[in-house]
Amino acid sequence: MSNERKRHVIPGEVITSGPYRAEQNTIQVGDKIVSTIVGLSDVHDGSVRVIPLTGGYIPKDDDLVIGKIASHSSLSWTADINSCYVGMLPASDVFGRDYSSSSDDMNSKLTKGDLIAARIVNADMTRDPLITISGRELGKIDSGELVKISPNKVPRLIGKRGSMIQLIESSTNSQVTIGQNGLLVVSSEDSNGLLKAIQAIELIEEQAHVANLTDQVNEMLESKSE
Amino acid sequence: MGGRDTDIVLLDENGIRCDGRKVNETRKVTIKAGVLKNANGSAYIEFGDNKILVGVYGPRDVHPKHMSDTDTGILRCRYHMAPFSVGERKNPAPSRREVEISKVIKEALEPAVMLKEFPRTAVDVFMEVLQADGGTRCAALTGASVALADAGIPMRDLVAGCAAGKAADAVILDVNNEEDQAGQADLPIGYMPNLKKITLLQLDGVLTPEEYKQCIEIGIDGCNQVYEIQKKALQDKFFASGEKQ
Amino acid sequence: MSDGLIIDQLKKNQILDLLKEGKRVDGRQFDEPRKLTIDIGVIPKAEGSARARLGDTEVVAGVKVQPERPFPDTGDKGMLICTAEILPIAHPSAETGPPQPPVVELARVTDRGIRESGMLDMKQLVLEKDKSVIGVFCDNAVTDHDGNLFDACSYASTAAINACKIPKYEMQDDAPVKIEGEFTEPPITTLPVSVTMAKIDNFIIVDPTIEEWAIMDARITITTNSDGNVVALQKGGSDGFTQEELIKCSEMSIKVGSKIREIIKQSK
Repeated sequence: MSNERKRHVIPGEVITSGPYRAEQNTIQVGDKIVSTIVGLSDVHDGSVRVIPLTGGYIPKDDDLVIGKIASHSSLSWTADINSCYVGMLPASDVFGRDYSSSSDDMNSKLTKGDLIAARIVNADMTRDPLITISGRELGKIDSGELVKISPNKVPRLIGKRGSMIQLIESSTNSQVTIGQNGLLVVSSEDSNGLLKAIQAIELIEEQAHVANLTDQVNEMLESKSE
Repeated sequence: MGGRDTDIVLLDENGIRCDGRKVNETRKVTIKAGVLKNANGSAYIEFGDNKILVGVYGPRDVHPKHMSDTDTGILRCRYHMAPFSVGERKNPAPSRREVEISKVIKEALEPAVMLKEFPRTAVDVFMEVLQADGGTRCAALTGASVALADAGIPMRDLVAGCAAGKAADAVILDVNNEEDQAGQADLPIGYMPNLKKITLLQLDGVLTPEEYKQCIEIGIDGCNQVYEIQKKALQDKFFASGEKQ
Repeated sequence: MSDGLIIDQLKKNQILDLLKEGKRVDGRQFDEPRKLTIDIGVIPKAEGSARARLGDTEVVAGVKVQPERPFPDTGDKGMLICTAEILPIAHPSAETGPPQPPVVELARVTDRGIRESGMLDMKQLVLEKDKSVIGVFCDNAVTDHDGNLFDACSYASTAAINACKIPKYEMQDDAPVKIEGEFTEPPITTLPVSVTMAKIDNFIIVDPTIEEWAIMDARITITTNSDGNVVALQKGGSDGFTQEELIKCSEMSIKVGSKIREIIKQSK
């Protein structure tokens, strides 16, 4: 009989014992499955994992991330992707395979401080993860406001099948590009809408663990802005 | 270490210590997790009159690059005392004592922190003693574990710290400043409560083999009490009342 | 150190666009400092202490008072030394190791602001002329960095020294002996308060956040005393100020400074 209820756990705490598979953020100690982080334990289908409530972003293949160009060599740019690992964007991604560029050329496309929407191509931790900006909805970001939230709140911000973020976008007339790394870009023609969208995002970050979050967000969005 | 002549009565005929405690009682401990804006994880701990602020950054890039390890993350710890933290003002530059304590705490945390998950990165733990009153390394270690958990650094267990010792010929728990100065032994301990392993152990003073056993036993008990406070600090921050899943 | 903060282009543009409209990112006026809270006595065992929170910047100042040998040429005066350090917990780019030039500047500017104002009447801090005087050390530890450390350290130091207690000493056989449990009030003559202004393009803003600091062209820190006199100045950054700008800055620092002074007075 498995305990399906989610439980609060801290590092070192035993979640359960017996024939279970230790999955994300858990380890096996003897016959016990133990949490390695602060989070919510989740036991189902014979496996145990812990949903983190804190922690930084670890790059995964195919994640959409927002990055900030930090520097470049003659062959690539490096981008801060809000992680302990730095994103590597090869020059060939922008210029094409046979291009050999000079510093001026590099700066003409992307310079230090530019924001990009990128996808993680290869998140092998023995080297810095490769990213790409060639693709639909990827590339340099020219406008909008950068907002930072904790990466593990991103699923809550997106909501079931995108319901939460769609709610925010439609009621504030704004577009939100969500990076899995906790960086988002919010843009809108309507400056009040922009402010409201950002407030809604901040509310979700603060109250992500609360059950009636959707109601709170609805209430906030419907109230008159002063 | 002690044995200094003192007017203070370290243990009276009723078994009461100079600050009113019994021999197996720890001082009051409070911990708050997540107190700094910039640090990835943080904790503020008051252990008796010790006041220590801990900040954690990481996992993060390592500079200079040659210090990083391709197979594993590295743990860097700095234990530092503010000039105003002690009776006579202390020079801000790190002393040899601080350097040693930094290393000892690092080695107390390493068995718990799962560094292999983050190759080529560093986890930095900075412990600032704002006010000192004996037993700062155990308190700093205790706060550091909470700050690491607050930062989301994966750990096999928390590490709790508490010192045992000997004063007025009695084995005591949680040595305060007067007992450290004038007592007979001070034994700081760091302990992983679920894995039941001691990861920090030092001794200043002289103990018989029997007293040594008693100190370890009473010290582990103290660490278990401190662990409950660590748990509470994390629960208060992350599992605030009013929610369910 | 904030020289290491890479500010993204979008944020830079946003700050500049708002300034052109007479606004700042956090909604403040150009001459408005962030919310300041001061708590004294946070380090009870020290002779004085204060924690200053200026917006999200936080500094803890501790005052230690102890007998010292006087400097050779000022045997009739006590000693006052202020220091400052940015703790590595305060910001991801804060370094350990010997202080870098920006931190040395912060410490020296903080020290000058307190010392040159004559905040403490040093002649009253003598135990025995040429032999033993009272040394007052005010050490600032920045615990969280969100810009404008100059002002945060100034406020924490002034508040801590204002609220400190000087132990009583008795000379016995040429050596000072502390009399336990007896204290006197510090000989305070004035409350110095610094106000830092940043210049971005041609706009001058008071109490820059760390992001405004990262894009500023120049800055000036002006310290005034309770009489509204200027007691210390420090200009920094790689651009210059015009004469008119400097006069405008001094007026702002007196106005803003007097409000801050009230907050410090209330904290005791």
